[in-house]
Amino acid sequence: MTPALDVRDLHYRYPDGTEALGGISFSLAEGECVGLIGPNGAGKSTLLLHLNGLLPERPAGSACVHVGDRPVAPEHFPEIRRRVGLLFQDANDQLFCPTVFEDVAFGPQQLGLSAAETGQRVREALAKVGLAGFEQRPPHHLSAGEKRRVCLAGVLACQPSILALDEPTSSLDPRGRRELKQLLGEIPLTKLIATHDLELVVERCPRVIVMAHGRIVADGPTQQLLADEALMLKYDLERPHILQHRHPH
Amino acid sequence: MHIPDGFLDVKTAVATGALALAGLGVALRQVGRSLPRARMPLLGLSAAFVFAAQMLNFPVAGGTSGHLIGGLLTAALLGPSAAVIVVSSVLFVQCFLFADGGITTLGANIFNMALIGGVGGWVIYRLFSRMCAGLTGKLIGAALAAWTSTVVASIVCAGELAASHTITWRLVFPAMAGVHALIGVGEAIITVLVLSAIAKTRPELLESSSSSTPDFGQERIGPLIAFGLLISLGLALFVAPFASPLPDGLDKTARALGFGSKAAETPALPAPIVDYKMPGISSEAIATAIAGVAGTVVVFGLAWMLAGSIARRPKALPANDP
Amino acid sequence: MQADYLDRYSRLDSPLHRQPAGGKVMVAMAVVVIAVTLPRAHAIWLAPLATLLIVLALVSQVPLRYLGQRMLLLEPLVVGVAVLSLLQSGGWQVFVLLISRTSICLLAMLLLANTTPFSDLLRVLRRAHLPGLIITTLMLMYRYLFVLVDESIRMKRARAARTFAHKRLPLWRNTATIIGQLFIRASERGERIFAAMCARGWQ
Repeated sequence: MTPALDVRDLHYRYPDGTEALGGISFSLAEGECVGLIGPNGAGKSTLLLHLNGLLPERPAGSACVHVGDRPVAPEHFPEIRRRVGLLFQDANDQLFCPTVFEDVAFGPQQLGLSAAETGQRVREALAKVGLAGFEQRPPHHLSAGEKRRVCLAGVLACQPSILALDEPTSSLDPRGRRELKQLLGEIPLTKLIATHDLELVVERCPRVIVMAHGRIVADGPTQQLLADEALMLKYDLERPHILQHRHPH
Repeated sequence: MHIPDGFLDVKTAVATGALALAGLGVALRQVGRSLPRARMPLLGLSAAFVFAAQMLNFPVAGGTSGHLIGGLLTAALLGPSAAVIVVSSVLFVQCFLFADGGITTLGANIFNMALIGGVGGWVIYRLFSRMCAGLTGKLIGAALAAWTSTVVASIVCAGELAASHTITWRLVFPAMAGVHALIGVGEAIITVLVLSAIAKTRPELLESSSSSTPDFGQERIGPLIAFGLLISLGLALFVAPFASPLPDGLDKTARALGFGSKAAETPALPAPIVDYKMPGISSEAIATAIAGVAGTVVVFGLAWMLAGSIARRPKALPANDP
Repeated sequence: MQADYLDRYSRLDSPLHRQPAGGKVMVAMAVVVIAVTLPRAHAIWLAPLATLLIVLALVSQVPLRYLGQRMLLLEPLVVGVAVLSLLQSGGWQVFVLLISRTSICLLAMLLLANTTPFSDLLRVLRRAHLPGLIITTLMLMYRYLFVLVDESIRMKRARAARTFAHKRLPLWRNTATIIGQLFIRASERGERIFAAMCARGWQ
């Protein structure tokens, strides 16, 4: 059974020479939802950028990342970038068109779909994220949570097989966070969520990968790893509140 | 310096429109050829940057304040062709969203601010940064280029207004040139301060030959010649007809020295060249020349001092700076 | 959104707003061209033109006070230059004509701007076959100018919180540093936007 995502011994150095990723290996099965946690600078965002070929700047040698049956290599980029739906940290970077409709339509248009199909995909994607009717809104009239959801719609409109999310709940107010968490629960795709929001991880990710200094230091069931206080403190994480209050009754 | 609708007549609007279109065409070809794809969003972002930067106030005196215009700054950071596109975009949005600058005068505004202000200024900037190496050279060049391009652009603007018979040259020229000689000083200072601030944190953004901006700084000679032709054409159409004392002076000299078929007004001995038959224009010309030279010297001196003090600042910054 | 004033009324719902953008652009440009090219002898026709615009302004439901404010912001420049014409012979006629022409054009363009979302305008330009690079530049400029203006406001506020003297040179230096930072951030954001475009398949 081909894993949905397979990363094998991935290394990466920044242009100035510092090591960012020092041999990352893991796999995701179809439909799995995995949290990716670790302190700042651990390399989480860098890792995500490798999943659709945005990094390394100059691909060399054999591909360390496989999405389904395809290696992440320049000749497969169009298909890879359709399959991997990457959500960036700053929604403003990803929402670059003057209206919601045009932005969500960007992906389908790049895929060469007809105007009718594009319109269909946009409507479905917006409905899925709960923003039906927002088609003509300009991005600067949207709240942070709405912008996040438009970005998600833009990614969903390409019908990806994997969602890679970089800090999806950062800078959201509690309501925005709740809505996004619920949304993520309703999307049955394979998901890799890089985040500091440990409550999100506990609620949505049965499995968690802990990164530090460009390496994977732990990979296992969420409940088990996050309850391990020593492990959490060692990597500057905390035991989330959800797991801290255990009442027997 | 945004000329509103109604201030230029049809022929001037059409002529400047043609010049602006040609300039944009040259710029688009150059940028299309040399801009790395990864830099493409930078044009739009830079246009947004210029717009946002223009909204920040620099208090002058009393309640007045100035602001950055940004033509030369854009050219120094992105190169002349990209600057033409960026400045034109800013002018376009200002025209269509705010009616700041007319639609029939968009061509003139683009010619004045993007071609003269941006490209013309860039040439001066480049010349100086080649002559004096290092950051100091760049800053001096930027100050001179910012002032000169602001003043020259305003003179061309005056010429356009005069050619349209909206206001006579002898009224509009001193007003525009005078006001912009002052505005140019502010522009020069602000441009130098901004460039030195950028040089402090990201000096490679100013470096035209580094690997991060390989295609912005290396301008090919073809587009530069094309820009030069357009600028010369504009100057010939809108400034030369009014800056007429020189031909008069030459004419009188020729006659005084015995050339020309007309009966000499003066004897065979060469008469003094300056024969003030038209006091208005002649005295203005001299006044302008003096102002121009003095202004240049003043700005040069100021820029030298400013550049010297900024470039020599130690690495450790005082507490209240970033 | 702090910078919302730039775009506040372009998405109202009035009979004028609902007209197609292309038509509105053509009408606005026609009004401007007529106002600019009307010979002095027939200047009286400026009056019905002005009346038409005022009627359209009322129909558009854009607050007249807002339109008036925007016009007043631009008038000083117009008046300033026009005043020079007073010093010429026959000056005051030229002056009045100049002011009238320009004001009509100003109103026409302001009405266009405030009844047409910029994205619609871009679509008109695309159909007019303006070069793709210019369209993309305009699109990104419009999209990100609100973001950058917001950033500059935040930086100014942060700077003001640390400023205790009000001497001119340090103040100028502060503002210039903010502008420098703004460019650096814009440049870095441009790279991230390119990455986001590639991530969704941009060729």
